[in-house]
Parts: sequence; C-alpha cells; structure tokens
Amino acid sequence: MRAVIAEDQALLREGLVLVVESAGFEIAGTADSGTSLLEITRTEKPDLVVTDIRMPPTFTDEGLVAALEIRRTQPSTAVLVLSQFVQRRYALELVRQRGGGVGYLLKQRISDIGTFRDDLKRICAGGTVLDPEVVARFMDPTDSGRAGLERLTPRQRDVLGLMAAGRSNASIARELVITEKAVVHHASRIYDVLGLPPSADDHRRVLAVIQYLTNSD
Amino acid sequence: MATGQVWRSHSLDLALVLLGVVSLVLVFVVVALTVDSGNGPLWALLLVNAVAVEYLVVGLLGWRRRPHNRLGPIIVVGAIAILLSALGNAATPSLVAVGIVFATLPLGMIVHLLLAFPSGRLQTRSSVVIVVGAYVVCLLLQAPLYLFAADGPVPGDPLAIADRPDLVGIGQTVQSLCGALVMVATTVVLVGRLREATPRQRRVLAPLDAYGIVAILCVPVSSIMRSTMNLDANLITILQIVLLAGVPLAFTWSIQRGGFAPAGEIDALAVRLGAEAAAGSSVDLALAQTLGDPSLQVIYAVADGRPVDGAGRPFDIENPGPRRLAAAVHIGPRPVAWIVYDATLIADPGYVESAGQVAALALERERLTAELMVRSRELEQSRARIIETGDDERRRIAQDLHDGLQSQLVLLALRAGLLTEVDGASPEVVRRATQLRRELDTAAAELRRLVHGLMPALLVERGLYAATEDLVALTPLPTDLMLEGSDAGLPDTVKSAAYFVVAEGLANALKHSGAGRMSVGLNRFNGTLRIEISDNGIGGAVAMGGAGLRGLADRIDGLGGRLLIDSPPAQGTRLMAEVPCAR
Repeated sequence: MRAVIAEDQALLREGLVLVVESAGFEIAGTADSGTSLLEITRTEKPDLVVTDIRMPPTFTDEGLVAALEIRRTQPSTAVLVLSQFVQRRYALELVRQRGGGVGYLLKQRISDIGTFRDDLKRICAGGTVLDPEVVARFMDPTDSGRAGLERLTPRQRDVLGLMAAGRSNASIARELVITEKAVVHHASRIYDVLGLPPSADDHRRVLAVIQYLTNSD
Repeated sequence: MATGQVWRSHSLDLALVLLGVVSLVLVFVVVALTVDSGNGPLWALLLVNAVAVEYLVVGLLGWRRRPHNRLGPIIVVGAIAILLSALGNAATPSLVAVGIVFATLPLGMIVHLLLAFPSGRLQTRSSVVIVVGAYVVCLLLQAPLYLFAADGPVPGDPLAIADRPDLVGIGQTVQSLCGALVMVATTVVLVGRLREATPRQRRVLAPLDAYGIVAILCVPVSSIMRSTMNLDANLITILQIVLLAGVPLAFTWSIQRGGFAPAGEIDALAVRLGAEAAAGSSVDLALAQTLGDPSLQVIYAVADGRPVDGAGRPFDIENPGPRRLAAAVHIGPRPVAWIVYDATLIADPGYVESAGQVAALALERERLTAELMVRSRELEQSRARIIETGDDERRRIAQDLHDGLQSQLVLLALRAGLLTEVDGASPEVVRRATQLRRELDTAAAELRRLVHGLMPALLVERGLYAATEDLVALTPLPTDLMLEGSDAGLPDTVKSAAYFVVAEGLANALKHSGAGRMSVGLNRFNGTLRIEISDNGIGGAVAMGGAGLRGLADRIDGLGGRLLIDSPPAQGTRLMAEVPCAR
C-alpha cells in the first residue's frame, strides 16, 4: 500500500510519515500545498492520501478542496483529512460524496497510534471515519428539534455516535465493552426509532445517520 | 443653494433709478430736437433712439447685477454716446456739431465692451492698447471732419477753424484706415481668447465674442461697400443700427450662460454676515453671491497653517486650478483663510480681498469649524487604524498558535504515543505514557477552544457567511438564518467584527431573553453590510449593557458603522448593526 502525505509544516510532516509508515504504508511522496498534492497524487496514484487543510498559498481550505477533488477524480484513492479544528460542514462535504474510503480527524488523533493505524486501515478498506468531536457536534443534545434522539437510551446514543463515526459493530462492541450481538440489537432498535434504513455497508450506515442528524428541520 | 437673494445696498438702486430717469429725459430731448429736422426718414431717427434706450436698460441692469463690474457703466456710457451721435440729425448747427463730434464713439464703446467682457477689466496689455486706440480713432481722428469743414456735414459749423476740404479728405482716410486696424486687432484678440478658453469659459464668451467679431468686421466692410458699390446710404444706416442693436442682445445671452452672475456689495456683505451669523448660513455662499462667482471656494488655514476645505480635506493652495486665484484673508499677521475664485469672472484681486476682510471674523468662526472637522477626521482614521491593528493582531496570534503551539502539542502527544510502542517498555511506562498523551490531548482541546474564541477557523477558511451558518447551527434554539448578497472579498476587520456581533448577540439572547426562537440576518448591499439578530424573548435589554456588546459597538463605530439595540419590554430584542464594507 502506498501513501502520499500533504502537510506544510515540516516537523508535523515527518511525524505523519513516521506514523503512516509504521502502519505498513510505503510513502510515495510528500506535498506542502494543495496544488503539489494534486500533482503528486495524479502521477503516483497512491492507495491513500493524508492531507492537512490549511496550506499555502492562501492558508484557508486548499487541502480540503484538493481532497474533494481527489475523491471525485480518483475514487480508488482513500482520503484522510487532518486538521487542527473539525467542522461539521467539512465532514458533510466529505461524506456526501459517493462511496467510503474517507476519513476526517483532528490532528491530535495521530498520537493515539494504535487507533490511528486502525482508522487508516478502515479507510483504505472503504470505510468511513469521522472524528468523535465532529460526531459530538452532530449529536449535540441541546441541538433541539432532532425528533427521536430523546427517545433513545443513553447507551443507544453512544452506539449511534459510534455508528456515525464509521465504526463497525465489532469495533463498537469493543469500545463499549458489550457483545457484538448486543450492538446489533441496539442498532436495530435505533433504526426502528429513527426510521433509518438498515444497512450492512458501513459507509451507507454513516451517511444515513449523518443525514438523519443534519436534516432535522 | 445658490438661489439665495443677493444682498445689495438700496442707495445703489436709487442712484441707478435716478440715472435711468435722467437718461430717459435725455432721450426725449434728443427725439424732440431731431424729429422734425428733416434729416433722414423719421423711422431711422426713432430707431436710433430706441437702440439707445435698449443700451440704457441693459447697461443699468448689468450695473445693478454686478455693481463692481465696469461693464454696466460702459454700456450706459454707450447709450449716452448713441444719443449724442443722434444729435447729428438735429436742425440746430451747434447740436449737429455735437452729434458729429461723438458720431463714432459708440463703435469705440463696443470695442471696449467686447474686450473687457466678462470681468469688466482689460486684462492684457494688448487689449488696453486696442481700446485706447479705438477711442483715439473715434474722438481725435474725428476732429478734421468738424474743424476743417466750414460747410461740410455740419451746415454753418460753429467749430470750424478753417475751410480745408483737402485736410478733411486726408483726415477721413486716416480715420478709416486706423479704424479698420483697430477692428482687425480686436478680431484677432477675440478669436485668440475664444481658442484659449476652457469649455466652461468658452460657453460664456462665445455669444458675445462671436457676435462682436461679425459686427465690428461689418463696419469697415459696409463703409467700403458704400463707397465702391454706391449702395443706398439709408440701407447702410439701417444695417449699422441693427448691428449696434444686436450687441446688448448678445451680451444678455452671454449673461444667461453664467458668466455674469449677480453680485452684491461689500458693505451689504457685512450686514448680511451679521444677520446670518445666528442662522448659521455659510460664509461661502454669502461671498460667492456678493462677488458673483458661483464657483468661489473658501479654504481655511488650520492650526499648523495647512489649507483645508470646509469639510476638512487638504487643499493645494499653490495650485487652485486653471485660471483660478487665491486671495488670502488675514486677522493681524495670521492668515485665516483663502478665497479661491475664477479670475476670468472677477478681475480685481483687491475687490476679493476687501470682501475677505469684511468677512474675516465670520471666516475665523468657520475656520475653527474646519479645524474641528480635520481633528475629527484624523481621530476617525486613527481609531479605524487601532481597530484594524487590534484585529490583525488577533488574527496573527490565532495563526501563530495554530502553526506553533497547536502543532507542538500534536508532536509532543505523538512522542508520548510512540513511547508506548518502544520494544520492551514496561506496562507501567506504557500506562504513564498513555496518561501523558491524554493530558496533552486535554491541553490541546483547551487550546482549540481558546484559538476558536480568538478567530474561528471557519471564518478564516470559508468566510463570514459559512462561519455564521455554523454558529447558527450550533445554537440550541431554533434559529432562522437569512444570508443575502455575497461575503466574497469582505475586509478582514469587517468580517471578524460582524462575526463577533452575531456570536455575542446570540449568546446574550440565549442567556437573558428567555426566547423560544431567534433569527440572524446578514445582508450585504451597495457597500454596506447589515447585521440583525432578533429574538422573541422578554425584551427590555439595557442598551449596550454588557461589556462585550459595548466593545463591539465601539468596534463597529470605529469602522464607520453603527450598532443599535431595540428592546421594548415584552416585545423581544433586535440588535442591528451596519458597517460600510466597500474597499
């Protein structure tokens, strides 16, 4: 598996290279701007792209724009977007595009090396990974008008949040220290209450949950 | 603004009325003296007198319109010259002699009028020479006609000192040649003046100058035609009278085109300034109307002697514009102001200066106002700069934290994470390293919150409208959002000020209003950004109560905008702000 890494700060770029290599990837190239990322990705056709958002020349959202462009033109390349801040709107923009193979995490998450390696593998396997902080934004209990959420038990809400983050049933079971069977049970109850279509595909499941959580009005 | 009445002294009006009455009496006397002399047809005699009356009326009106301009008196003198020349048709030899003496004076007067228009002064040396020449031709070179012709045009000429028809012939030829020279020179000067004039000046000059050129060229031409083509003398007379009659008409037309605005008298200016001081009327207007120059500008000397206009903007007093002059007004040795005027309209700088001295105290008062305007303008600019600097500083600190401390925390946490992977690390080390990593994560989350408060990432990355959308989406109350216009290219200071107004407005409403619903509107239209945050809560919010809002009001104010709160009890609260945002 080959990866391209885009990050304009040299020290962070080195750190990322280290961690991504340790997850078994070969580094096909590094970039320090949105345009150079697009160039390298076009020529190298890597399996994975890991990119920062705020990069030269405008230091706004060029990394995200490049990530969306890669997902559109090279669907076989998985994309992980890292940033110092997570925004709901960026998560939606990334998830709404077709297919999985996408992730959106706080930069801080790379230090939890084991979890980060798993996230990389899930993304490359076509899964979806969203940062817990961004999922929390979607699940904000004060964000009223989201009919149905209050009818879920706290445990069901935990499961829903992990589903939104893109976790598999096995992963949710591990996280919450319950059996996978219990997770399946919670999930079907959640589907019933919220009227979501049951889905085996992790990404579709994320999409449905996120859509439910954002289209509340 | 320029429609105000011009203040004049009543004594001038009275004098002009008297002059008019006396002149009219003169007209009747001339008519009575010439009407049954049998010299020429009756209608020709009456026509000449009618033209004299026309000159009289136009001259007196011009005189009244601009008392300090010499054109009015020149035209009145012209009227009298025409009357005197009309005496040439009288029956009495002595009166005929008077008529012959002044026979060609109207022509000299016309040359004078043409060259002195519109300022009333002969402004070039060449025009002075031409006018002096014209009067010499009309008065001096006329002399042989009555001095040496005992029985010439004047029967029984009482002025004759010898009967020398040969000298009369020579004199006539010399007069014709010199007259033609004067006419040609006048034409050359007028054409040159028209060519050099600015479009605005040409507009004023054109009717009179063009007509004048045609008229004075016709005089020698008609004389030549008379002698060579043997035309009827009456025809020539009619032609010349008609040409003469056209001059006041052309003059009136030029006046209509703005070159001869009504002017008042300086004495009256003092009275007017005294009367209007309380009313706060502008000194500029009084001066413009008194001096009869609508384009007149007053420039003030502020504390450090810099010239500024009435609104406090700097003015280049050394270069007041094409054909404009600046007359300084002093109180003691200190310059107070300058009066900038059109030199083609007002010929006499002394006249402007005396008006300035009369207005000096009023100008001093206006000068203080102008000085205040300068101060307030400077203050406004410095406040805008301070706000901009503060805002830039915020943005810079947020960016520095993003690039520096936030990245360092990521790297430190990564190193803590890597510790857990070291081969042979004891479970205790792994536990402690994980603990350290989690603590660093907590610190990073804290820092994220801080940086977000300083300058939200979405505002930097996606602009005001996107950031406001997210702000509204995170509000735990149903909130309507209206975004109109585009936020593209908004200045950074406006962007962040507007964002924090919305954030503070929503936070206040949540905390104090007890509202069940809120709405946020951003509307950018015609270079203004309007912000409105409203709720359906209890109202009664104290205007600018919170320190946060107070600071934001100052910020909006410093950007040249304003912030208002409308919060009647039990009727909800509306927070409105307007910021100019055109770069």
